[in-house]
Order: sequence, then structure tokens, then C-alpha cells
Amino acid sequence: MRPSTRPHRISCATRGVGGALALLALTGAEPLWAATLVISVQTPDGRALSGAVVTARPLDTPPRRPAPVHAVMDQVSRAFAPDLLVIAVGSTVAFPNSDSVSHQIYSFSAAKRFQLPLYRGKPYPPVQFDQTGVITLGCNIHDDMLAYLLVTDAPYFGRTDARGAWSVDVPRGRYQVSIWHPRLRESDTDLQRELTVGDADRADLQLHLLKSLQPAPINDRPHSWDY
Amino acid sequence: MPTLSRGASMITLLAMAVTGRAADWELSLDTRAVTSDAGRSFMDGGLGTTRFDRNDSGMQLGRLRLALSSPLGELWSAHLDASVWDDKDRSPVGVTEAYLQFRPYPRAGYRFRLKAGAFYAPISLENRAAGWESPYTLSYSAINTWLGVETRTIGLEGQLDWLGTRTGHVFDLGLTGGVFGWNEGTGVVLAGNGFMLHDRQTPVFGRVGPPGVGVLPFQQFDGRAGVYAGVEGRWLDRVVLRFLRYDNRADATSMDTVSGAIAWNTRFNSAGLRIESGTGWTGIVQWLQGETYIEPAPGLDFAWPFRAQFALLSKRFGRQTLSARYDRFEVDSNVPDGDGRQTGHAWTAAWMFDADAHWRLALEWLQVRSYSYLRTEFGGPPLATETQLQLAVRYAFGSGVR
Repeated sequence: MRPSTRPHRISCATRGVGGALALLALTGAEPLWAATLVISVQTPDGRALSGAVVTARPLDTPPRRPAPVHAVMDQVSRAFAPDLLVIAVGSTVAFPNSDSVSHQIYSFSAAKRFQLPLYRGKPYPPVQFDQTGVITLGCNIHDDMLAYLLVTDAPYFGRTDARGAWSVDVPRGRYQVSIWHPRLRESDTDLQRELTVGDADRADLQLHLLKSLQPAPINDRPHSWDY
Repeated sequence: MPTLSRGASMITLLAMAVTGRAADWELSLDTRAVTSDAGRSFMDGGLGTTRFDRNDSGMQLGRLRLALSSPLGELWSAHLDASVWDDKDRSPVGVTEAYLQFRPYPRAGYRFRLKAGAFYAPISLENRAAGWESPYTLSYSAINTWLGVETRTIGLEGQLDWLGTRTGHVFDLGLTGGVFGWNEGTGVVLAGNGFMLHDRQTPVFGRVGPPGVGVLPFQQFDGRAGVYAGVEGRWLDRVVLRFLRYDNRADATSMDTVSGAIAWNTRFNSAGLRIESGTGWTGIVQWLQGETYIEPAPGLDFAWPFRAQFALLSKRFGRQTLSARYDRFEVDSNVPDGDGRQTGHAWTAAWMFDADAHWRLALEWLQVRSYSYLRTEFGGPPLATETQLQLAVRYAFGSGVR
């Protein structure tokens, strides 16, 4: 995985929530924005965890599927760019190759098995992701290339910012909140929380990881070295 | 043989023509300013433990290298690495590696790979840069210098990997097995010179030493194939642990009737550990232990057990790398007068500066202190301290260099 400082082609967090908003507007649902849900995630040493994926599902109302999007995961300087995408189930992802070298990307994750040879200047049709789950992507030529796609059916999702926080406006009710990060050592169920968005304007949930993250991949190693 | 070099070049060019896809290529020129007080170099038939001796002080060619790699369809690729070392080999241009690789997509967490041709067995944790070079020092450790001089898989290698890091785990595991020929000469340089520390890799079917005196590590005349088997474990992209057992299975009683060359039966075990931190530190240790023996007549067998270790510590500061390495090596002998016995240790310190993708500047100080029985046969004292200082400037360009 490469540094997250690389500019992302699209922000799926924004699109996901935007999609949910658009869906509400189309169905004529009541604008029940009652409160802002603020989730913040901290590592065991008290530092903010940025880039963590947060999903929120209402428990009182029937789940509403988020709107699919068209996302892009490019290949730049022998790395996936971005190296993590969160998309709504049913979304498509295009995998262009901006490098001068060829790539052969693959996934054998249960949520989507596929392989694509990406020769420079030769576009391929986008890949559709119809099942929820985490999809790990690799390149069969460059072993140090690693990326993740998280496909979700939660109506609210996004990633924590530099302060380790993510917020969304939601109707009142009970929610199940989940956290995911590629370097987490805790299980998904350990990081699921339920909370109630009540009468206040704002509902806060602070999550403290109990285990430190796995070390980040080394990203300044020259490409010509084996890894 | 030059025929194979030509064959490999033809395969690569053919691959490019057939697929209509441009091969990736790289050309690099590495020049050195050298000062050395070492004894006569092995390439001149001497027992010096470094590449350049006291008569080589001045400007020298480090390496002129051309590498080509080309896809052959989606799952096959062809690779060629050719170099000029400016020395006295059989051919001015030598091929150090030339092979075809089959690399199917992984399935359910497992991946298989096959290599056919001439290439290095997966032993060194130091020679990880293009052209089997070390990104830490100009001269390789005693272990990896020897591997570069006398070993090459001229045959087939299969590798099966379990890609744990692609299935939510923190480990990857790999198994490797190789079958190879043209290995009857492997061991002759170790018995004849002992361990050395340099970066001159013997080209496939190349010669080590001057005409008439030099030896040929890559020969085939006993009709037996050598084998190796290894395991590798990785923790994330931080730690690599390798073990490999090598046996060239040479018939030590065999002799080439044309050249008079003897088959050297060489077996060794090797282990290595490389640890990298996220803050630019790298630590490498490697260990090698084995034996080479010949039996030129019934009941007359000569054996040279050998062992070597090194520890390397390196720190990357942006585009600069500082490295220090300590080597220890020993060749024993059961020959009554101690022929071939050698012990020694070496310190290497190097600074590398990758100015940009094209230019690299390097400075290396190497000091080897060794005892060699063979030096007395040349009328010298058996103990020697040899110091070599090199300043290297390398320029590289090609399709992938940017």
C-alpha cells in the first residue's frame, strides 16, 4: 500500500452519502435530519486514526441501500491510486493504467474474484461489485502492490479525516456503527457499536482501539528492488 | 556457451516481435575510481580477495549492463541480463541471467511460478536490486560473491506461494525447488581461491581467471542434475526468512575427457533473515555452510568444508543510504599440506546516493584480513590485510527508468 497522501480520484464517502441524500429526495421521504452523528477513532496510544472506514446502519427502520457509483482506481508509479475505496454495493470501478509498465491485477476475495491484464494505453470495461465485503487487490507482476475495496450496503459510510473523525447527518433512532481499516488487528465484531441518536443535535461515539495497528507498508523502497 | 547467450537474445527479440509489445529495457554504465593495495586479482590468476588489486588503481569499468524483459502473451515473460565487466573472460559480453518465466494468476490464495533458463537460486537477501546487485554496497558479502561466481541455476525452478497477506493474514509462505545442470565446476573457485568480496558475477558459461589458468564453473559432463529446495516466510513486507539446501549431485569421480576438468561435488545449507523498519533501517544476516569434494582416483578424496556468515546494517536517509557489513568466512581442507585452507573476516562501509532515477554515486571502503595457505605456495606470507576504496558513478536509462 502506498501513502494516502496521493490525491484520490473521487471521494466515495461524499458520493455515498450524497447518493443516499439523492435517494431520499427522489422518494419524497421526510427530511428527518435530526442530529449529526460524529464518530471518532483513536489508536491505543491516543492518536487519531485517519482513513478508517466507518459504516452506519439504522436499526429501527428497514435498511435502505446506498446508490451505486462509478469509481476509479488508477495504477500510478506501480501503486494503486487510491489504495482503498469504499463503494456502495452494485457500484462499478474502472482500473486504468497510467504507468508505462503493464500490470496484472487480481482478486481472489470471496466478494469478487477477477483478474485483469492492464497494458498501457489499453482501457478495460469497469468491474461491477455486487456483493458486500472486503476485496484485496494485488498485481501478479509487482508483488508489493496492494489495495482494498470495501463494498458495503450501509446507507451511511465514509472515512475518518486527519483528526480521526467522520460525521454524517442522520434521522433519530438507533444505529449500528462499524469500523474497518486494512491494518486493524481487532476483529470486525470487536469494533461494532450500537448507539442511539436521541433528542440532542449531536451524537458522539468515540472508539478506542485496544490493539495497535499492523505496521504500514514501506513505501519509499525503490521499485527496482524485490520486496 | 555463447550459443546460449545468442539463443537467449534471440528468444527475447522474438518475444518482442511476436507479441508486438515493446520490451522493457535498461542500459547502465557504472565507472569506478579505485585505489587498492590488494594482492593480484582472481581475474589475473591471483589470490587477492577483492575485485581490484594494487595494479588496478585508477579508473575502471564497474559494469556495463543491458537488461531486457518482455511479456510473451499474458502469463509468460522473457528476461535477459547481459554485462561487460572489462576483464578477460571468454567473451567480451556475458549473459548473467536469461530465462523464461511462467506466472499464472493466483487462485484461492495460492500461486505457482516456473522459471526455465539461467538464473539465481533464491538465496541472497542482499542482491535485491536490478542485475542481482546490492543496493547497500558495491562489493557483495563473501557468501553472495561466491554465489555470483560459482552458482547459477541452468535448468528449471518451480515456486509455490501461499499469499496470506492477500487473504487477511500477516504472513506469506513459499516453497521453491530447482533442478539444474552445468554445475560440475561449482566449488573449484572456493577450493582454489577461497572466499572473496566483489561484484563480478561470472557470466553463464563464463570463465573465472585468465586463459589457460582460469576455471569454468558451469560445465556438464557427468550426466547428473543438481537439485535444491528452499522455504521462505515473510511477515508483511518487513521480514523475510529463507532456508535453502543445495546439492549439485556431481559425480566426484567424473572427469571431462576433453578438458581434463574434474567434477566438484558441492552441497550446502543456507539461511538468511532480513528485517526492515518503517524508518529506513535494514538488517540482514546470512549463513552458509557446506562442503565441496573431488575424488580424482579411487580412495583419493579431497574435501573442502566451508562456512561463512555476514551481518549488514543499513539506514536510508531520503536518497542516501549508509551501510556497514561484517563478514566472516572459512574454508577448511583435508588435503595433507592444508592446500586451500583459508580463514578471514572483512569490514565494508558504503555510502550510496541516488541523485535521481538516472544517476547514482557510491563510495565504498572494504578491508579484508585473511589467512590463506595458498599464498605461501606463491612465496608470500599467508596472512594479508587488503584495503580497497571505490568511488562509483552509474548512469542508467531505459524504458522503465524515469
